[in-house]
Amino acid sequence: MSFLWGSSKPEEPKTVAAANNNDLQQRLGFDPSQVSSLNQAINLDAAKLHPLAELEKGVEYLDIEGESILSSEGSQNGFLPSRGFNDDLCYGTGTVYLSALSLGGAYGFVEGIRNIPRGTTSGKLRLNTILNHITKRGPFLGNSAGVLAITYNIINSSFGALKGKHDDWNSLAAGFLTGAIFKSSKGLKPMGLSAALMTGVAAAWCGVKRLAN
Amino acid sequence: MSNVEADHTRDPCPLVIISDFGGAFAMGVVGGCVWHGIKGFRNSPLGERRLGALSAIKARAPVVGGNFGVWGGLFSTYDCAVKAVRKREDPWNAIIAGFFTGGSLAIRGGWKHTRNSAISCGILLGLIEGAGILMQKWMAPPVQPMYDPNAQPLGA
Repeated sequence: MSFLWGSSKPEEPKTVAAANNNDLQQRLGFDPSQVSSLNQAINLDAAKLHPLAELEKGVEYLDIEGESILSSEGSQNGFLPSRGFNDDLCYGTGTVYLSALSLGGAYGFVEGIRNIPRGTTSGKLRLNTILNHITKRGPFLGNSAGVLAITYNIINSSFGALKGKHDDWNSLAAGFLTGAIFKSSKGLKPMGLSAALMTGVAAAWCGVKRLAN
Repeated sequence: MSNVEADHTRDPCPLVIISDFGGAFAMGVVGGCVWHGIKGFRNSPLGERRLGALSAIKARAPVVGGNFGVWGGLFSTYDCAVKAVRKREDPWNAIIAGFFTGGSLAIRGGWKHTRNSAISCGILLGLIEGAGILMQKWMAPPVQPMYDPNAQPLGA
């Protein structure tokens, strides 16, 4: 069953490692385990190398990060890791969906406990009532909040990509548009109400980000 | 992570669950929009097709998203748990996680339903993992035969 549960790998004897180390030290002229930087160990002399390498200016390091929307200001919120649009969407939606699901589930739990039929002694019936209420409230709230989060993130990231930077105005506008789209088939008044509400939520999120950073 | 087998394109374990929840939910919503949009369009009378598609999307797409999201998030949670217990990463992780996911989602349907669902979900994940391995082997360049300069000429 070791393929299923994994097996403890045997430890390599320390003496072999030490002997290896000694051998290496004699061959290389320095102790490899003491080296913290390649520059000290090799002691690069730029003059000895080919002039075409242009090493007089010192060693240049590779820029792995690169130019992206990530390096534009205000793209990190300080709570969740983000490498761009995809991470923003996944983490944002996941956080909002999970919170709303738990909140709705908790509400449904309380509601379920209140609505247990009087006089039932059957544990199965009680459990079923509670579970029914949880699965009625939790997914409903979670799904609505999740859809709102997806729309918000898509609009917010589009604004960020168009403007080249992420700021509070993007966030507020994205919140406004999200709320308006969410209730767009219900008429002007609910649209305005939900847009205002979502703008408020976006403003609160911006405030939390500012307080935390 | 010190594990050589680890997949470094994904985030470290407890955090990746949130990302998987969100990603699966988003995928489900987009897929649900397409699916129920077409379904609502086809099932509506002429003249109300666009409205029918819209109302079908509004009613059903978030539900599809929710189902996908819960499946993906639960799978990711079990995957992390299995990784923590087994301390290795191989196709068995996904199969075991799929087995538990299928079982958990069907747990309200009774023992038999739970068992059948768990087994079929595990088999499905096994098929997916198998297809992934086959794809990997197919995409990998074949080993080139090397010329040995010291080889004896073949006697004829």
